[in-house]
This record gives sequence, C-alpha cells and structure tokens, in this order.
Amino acid sequence: MPPQPKAESEAARYALRQLSRDRAGTVGPAPAPKRHGAETASVTTESKSTDQPSASDTHRRPAQRPQQEHRRMFPIDIRPDKLGEEMLDYSRKLGQGMQNLLDAGDIDSGVSAKDAVYREDKLVLYRYQRPADVAQQSVPLLIVYALVNRPYMTDIQEDRSTVKGLLATGQDVYLIDWGYPDQADRSLTLDDYINGYLDRCVDHIRRTHGVDKINILGICQGGSFSLMYTALHPDKVRNLVTMVTPVDFKTPDNLLSTWVQNVDVDLAVDTMGNIPGELLNWTFLSLKPFSLTGQKYVNMVDMLDKPEKAKNFLRMEQWIFDSPDQAGETFRQFIKDFYQQNAFLNGTARVGERPVDLKQVRCPVLNIYAMQDHLVPPDASKALNGLTGSDDYTELAFPGGHIGIYVSGKAQKEVTPAIGEWLNAR
Amino acid sequence: MTQNPFFDDSWLKLQRDYWDSLANLGQQAMSAAQSGPGTGNESSASAPWMAAPWMQAMEQWRKAMAPAASDPAQTFMQRLMDQGQVYFGMVEQFTKGLGAGDTANTWEALNKTIDSMQQAFSGANTEGNEAMKRMLGFWELPLDNWQRMMSSLSPMMPGDLLRNMPHAGMPGPLQEGLDRMLSAPGLGYTREEQAQYQDLMRTGMDYQRAFQEYSAFFNQLGFKSLQRLREQLQQKAEAGETIESARGLYDTWIGCCEAVYAEEVATPEYARLHGRLVNAQMALKQRLSVMVDESLGAMNMPTRGELRTLQDRLQDTRRENKQLRYELDRIHEKLATLPTAPTPGAAQPKTSQAGAGQAGAGQSSASRTGTSQSSSSQPSSRKTSASGSATTKKTTARKKTAAKSSGG
Repeated sequence: MPPQPKAESEAARYALRQLSRDRAGTVGPAPAPKRHGAETASVTTESKSTDQPSASDTHRRPAQRPQQEHRRMFPIDIRPDKLGEEMLDYSRKLGQGMQNLLDAGDIDSGVSAKDAVYREDKLVLYRYQRPADVAQQSVPLLIVYALVNRPYMTDIQEDRSTVKGLLATGQDVYLIDWGYPDQADRSLTLDDYINGYLDRCVDHIRRTHGVDKINILGICQGGSFSLMYTALHPDKVRNLVTMVTPVDFKTPDNLLSTWVQNVDVDLAVDTMGNIPGELLNWTFLSLKPFSLTGQKYVNMVDMLDKPEKAKNFLRMEQWIFDSPDQAGETFRQFIKDFYQQNAFLNGTARVGERPVDLKQVRCPVLNIYAMQDHLVPPDASKALNGLTGSDDYTELAFPGGHIGIYVSGKAQKEVTPAIGEWLNAR
Repeated sequence: MTQNPFFDDSWLKLQRDYWDSLANLGQQAMSAAQSGPGTGNESSASAPWMAAPWMQAMEQWRKAMAPAASDPAQTFMQRLMDQGQVYFGMVEQFTKGLGAGDTANTWEALNKTIDSMQQAFSGANTEGNEAMKRMLGFWELPLDNWQRMMSSLSPMMPGDLLRNMPHAGMPGPLQEGLDRMLSAPGLGYTREEQAQYQDLMRTGMDYQRAFQEYSAFFNQLGFKSLQRLREQLQQKAEAGETIESARGLYDTWIGCCEAVYAEEVATPEYARLHGRLVNAQMALKQRLSVMVDESLGAMNMPTRGELRTLQDRLQDTRRENKQLRYELDRIHEKLATLPTAPTPGAAQPKTSQAGAGQAGAGQSSASRTGTSQSSSSQPSSRKTSASGSATTKKTTARKKTAAKSSGG
C-alpha cells in the first residue's frame, strides 16, 4: 500500500534529521578538521532548524535579491592574501599527500594474525591467534559479517580493530570470510548461507572446542543472518550479539528501503545473475554523494601529510570500494522478503522450507546500534526489542555511524570492551 | 621511496610565486573597484585562476609517477585531484569580484554569480568557463557515479551511450509516432527478428527517457542548492557572521547541496525516478542478453540461459549432497560414541581362524548398525535400518560361505 502523504513528509523530515546528525560522514574514514567540520555541522543544523520553505517552494518562487536588505553587511570576507596563503597550504599538503600515497606501498587487509581452519567453496573460516597474556574464555565467539563489503573492516588497522579488542577481553575469535561469489554461485540461496555454510562453520567450532553452544556476533546483514540462524538452531547458540542489524526494514528514515521499494528485484536478478558490487557501491554513495564523493577528498588533504595516515586512508578507501558481487538468489530473497515485505516484523521470514520464529531466540541478546547510522537507522535495530523469546535482552547505543561503530577510536574504548564484558558475564 | 619527489623546493617556489601574484592581482582588483563602479562578475582576479600552474604541474607529475603507485593509491590520487579541482573552481567562482567596492556591489556580484549558475542549470551555454563547468559537474556527481557504474557493468555498452542519442527529447507527437511504429507487428520470414529489434529500440528509448528524467531531477537539485546557498549567506549576514576562509565557503556550499539533496531523495517521487532508472536499465540489458544468447545458440555455442539451468540443477544437487554427507557424518559420530556389543562370534570357539575373522567383522558391523537402529527414532534411521538388515543378510551369507570353505 502506498504511504500516505502526511507520513511521507514526516518520513522526509525524519530522514533529514538523521542525515544532518550524520554530517561527519560515517562511511568516510576521517572527520573533517575541527574548524571546518564544526562550521559545516552548524550550517547544516541551521538549514534544518529554521522555518524555511520546502525545496519545491523555493524552486517555484523567484530568487530573492538580498542586497537591499543587507547593504551594511556581506557574509564572505576572504582577503586575497589570506586566500592565497590558504590555497598554497592546500597545494603543499596535496603535494605531500601525493608523495605519501606513492610511498604507501601495498595495502594489507586485516592486521591480526589468523589461521584458516575450515574452507568450503569460496568460504574461509578464520581463527585469530590469541594473546598469551590474556585469560581465555572457554566459549568461542564467531563473527558473522555481511555479504556486502569485506569482513576485514573488523580488523582494519592496528589501533582500529574490533577483533583485537575482543581478543583482549579473552574471546576466542572466529570470523567467516564469505569470499567473492561469481556467476557459478548465482544459485546460492539464504538457505545455503544460513543452514548450509553458517551452520557448518558453527558445527566445526563446536566440534573443535567440544562445546554444544557458541557465542555469535552478527554485524549488519550478518546480524540478520545470525538472528535467523539462532531462531532455527537455538540449541547451538549460547549468546547472541547483533551490531547495527536491520530488523525493521521499513522505518521512515531508511532511505535504502525507500529507494528499493520501486525496484523490480526479479528483473534485476534475472538480468544480471549476481548483483554487481558496483551497483551496491553506487547505491551507498548515493545516500550522501556530495560528502562521500566530493568533500571527503578535500578534507583528506589536510590529513595526508603524515605517511601513516595516508596509508590508513588508503586502507579505508580500498575497503569502501571492495564490494563483492551478491549471489543472485540470495539477493532476490533478502531484498524481497526483508526490504520489501519486512519479514521479521510481519512474521513471514523463511529460510528454505522452514519458517523463522524469532521467539525461538531464547538465549541472551545484546543489540548494539549506532545513533547516527544512515544505512541501518537506530529504529531499524531497536525493533528487535520484544520480538525475541529472550528474557535477557540488552541494548547498547553508540554515538556514531554505521562504520564508526567498529573502527572509530571511541568504539575501541566503549563498544568492544562492553561486548567482551557482557559475554564474559554470561 | 620514489626517486623523483614531487614535493621539492622548485615546485614550492613556483606555487608561492603564483599565489603571491594572485594576491597582488586581488589587491589591484580591489583598488580598481574602489576607484570606479565594478560589476564584479568580470573581475580580473578570475583570469589567473585559469592559468593556475599548480594543477597542471601536479597532473603531469601524477601521470608520470602514478604507474609506480599501487592501484588503490592511483585511484585515490585521481579522486583527490578531481575534487581539488572542484574545490578550487568553487572558490574561484564565488570569490571573483567580491572585493569590488561596497557591500551593495559585492552582493550584486554574488547574485550575478549565483544567477548565472542557476541559468546554466536551465540549459544556458557555459562555453569557455572552465570553473563553471567544474562546478556544474560537481552537481552531477551522483549521475556521474551512475554512468561509471553502468559502464563497468556493460563493457560493450558504455554508460553514456544512450545519453545523447539524437532522438533524445524529441517532441511528443514524434515520440508517439516512433513508439507506434515500434509496436507494429513484424511481417514475413524475419518476423521474430524484427520484433526483437523493435523491442530493443523500445527498451533503449525507455531507458533514455528514464535517464533524462533522472538528469532533470539533478538539474533542479543544482538550482535549488544555489538558492539554498543564497539564503544561507543571507542568514549569515543577518546574524552578523562572516565566512573568512575558502574552506569555510566550500563547506557551506557542500552543506547546502547535501541538505537539499537529502530533502529531495527522501520523497516518493525520487524513489519512483530511482526505481524507473534501474528497472529501465535492467530491461534493456535483459533484451540485449536474450539477443546475445540467441546468436550464441545459432552458432551452436552454449548460452547463458543453458548455463543457468545447469547452475541451478548443480546447486540443487550439491545442496542435497552436502546435507546427506552432513547427516552421514553425524551418524558416524553417533555410532562411534556407542559402546561396542560383545561379538557373537567370540562365543563360537570351534570356528576356524579365517572364518571366525570374517564372521566376527561382519557380525560386529551388523550389531553396531542394529544398535543404532534400535536407539534412534530419527526418520533417517529408517534408511539405516534397511541397510542394517541388508548387512545382516550379507553377513549371514558370508558365514555360510566360510562354513562351507572350512568344511570343505
């Protein structure tokens, strides 16, 4: 049913509020330098807080000529010599940044030592090497990442690694790398991923450790997979942590969801086979194109004059555009069932022949969301509250964005230790 | 380290000289404006920006040195350069003539700049104004991203192939006429082929229309963003605030673009445009794929459609195989944990050595299977039970053979 006009305008306003809060560019690796960032943020806030006419109104009415009302004041005061100095400084930093980029060498993906312990088709299950000086937990933890983008984001650099943080709390960390599906993987379904690959990884870990149940940490789409898995295999999951996980796919501020409602997913999958990573990248960049494909690079120049920073930015840049193609049948089912039909909320989720009943998730659940998330808005994650059968449900709100929640310095101090503590207490 | 560092003294000196001369020109422009009425829009300060040596020098250096950099570094450098140009272009566009005379004149200069940019979004000619082109190009970022993405998906059909085709934007009646012609049924021996080409043209034109609608949306966006910028500057003036740096101006401008964009793309209208663009592109690609498949079939080559049928069947089989293997492994594990029953063969001391060994092994196997059968109520154990009976029968047969051979 098409949404009502009133709801639409509310949705638009809600989306705006969210986007304005996310001005720092959560997908981009670095916030703007303070002086500029602060200025930008205040500008954006102004544009929302004033009672301006809607964009369509401004388009219809003739351009205002403010010179009559503001003869005494002009809001741009950039002196030519200062401008020259500023641009020279920019040129110098850009030159130095280019030099540092050239010298950056190869970019590694993932920094912690790990061993491949199980392989199946293109999937590899890794086990991270544990630090010797930390007391180890007996229940292993499996990280289930999304199919979109690559899981090395959880271990992107030495001082920005969720994996390292978890190891430091004594967790025995495993991670699934789903690999890069090609056209021969087009027929893989949600059933193959969840009751096949994921279940066999869980069984491998259970056998290795001689335990009946393990802990699972699902991230983004991987969180949705983990929820389905736990509902279908409650006897194998001891604790479930979901991070930036979409549960209600139709919150009014979910731009991705708004856009995908009119896309003929069957036609796209039938045509393309697999859905190309480039198409997903385009969609994600389209959420904030001017910041993510424009301003970000201008701001970066300020920070590229240090070789290590240049390398860190390259790591992030590589990750942002490292988008595997999506196995066609899985994409079809995920978009139709969840983004278009909101299957968790409507109780219509299925994996293969089996219906998914979230009430079967009876283990302790820690649900972590990012308050400035523009990909999975907070309400999309918070909808999990009350849907599971768990009597030990905890929420953790992080003041940051979708990516910042596991790569920002703040997240290393707040989120990862909190996960470790929560798990260790259970 | 690279052998030829870009960041050396001579380059810095060149840059410093350039910016010094620009600052001088700016001062002169200011003096000239103060001595006479300046329109601002044709400020002399704009000329040297065009000849800016830094960008050319850096571009040449990048081209020479980039092959030595890693792939991500090269792409990243290109993006830095591109956005650096946009940044400089924006600063050029908005600062020219701003030092010209009193406040009224500077407002006039700014309004003229914004007006001319808004006119450009309405289709005015921007020939010769490179900074303006870069600015307008910036508003096309989302569109440009789409074109690049489509080109990467269709190496044989660049994303911009249909963008400027001559029948784009043809008058309504002409468009209707063409649509009617393309809907006419094909005749004769090549009827099916004609229909395919008609459909190809139809889907091509559909995509083109969808793309034009989408482009028009971004033109409006550019127009509205400029209006928003004008309002923002007005509010700053009212609040007594000033922007004192090029970056501050750039960030204000980006803020306006992003704010207007966020408002516009959250609407059902945009969702419709977005959906239509993606769907039209997919319909066109599907039509092309069908025709490629038919050509391949005609050449007795495997087609994509056939491959997909095989992939589907193979995946079904693999899924089933993996499930069976998984169940088998679990059964083996279960069996391994069960206590071994005493072998009946051990109670027959008179049996010959060779015969006893064979019989013992067979009975052991049978009894293990038998135990599994009795202890499991799983549906899969019915199969096990059947095979268990078969094993028992075979064992009995072997026993008889062993007895015969020992007896013989």
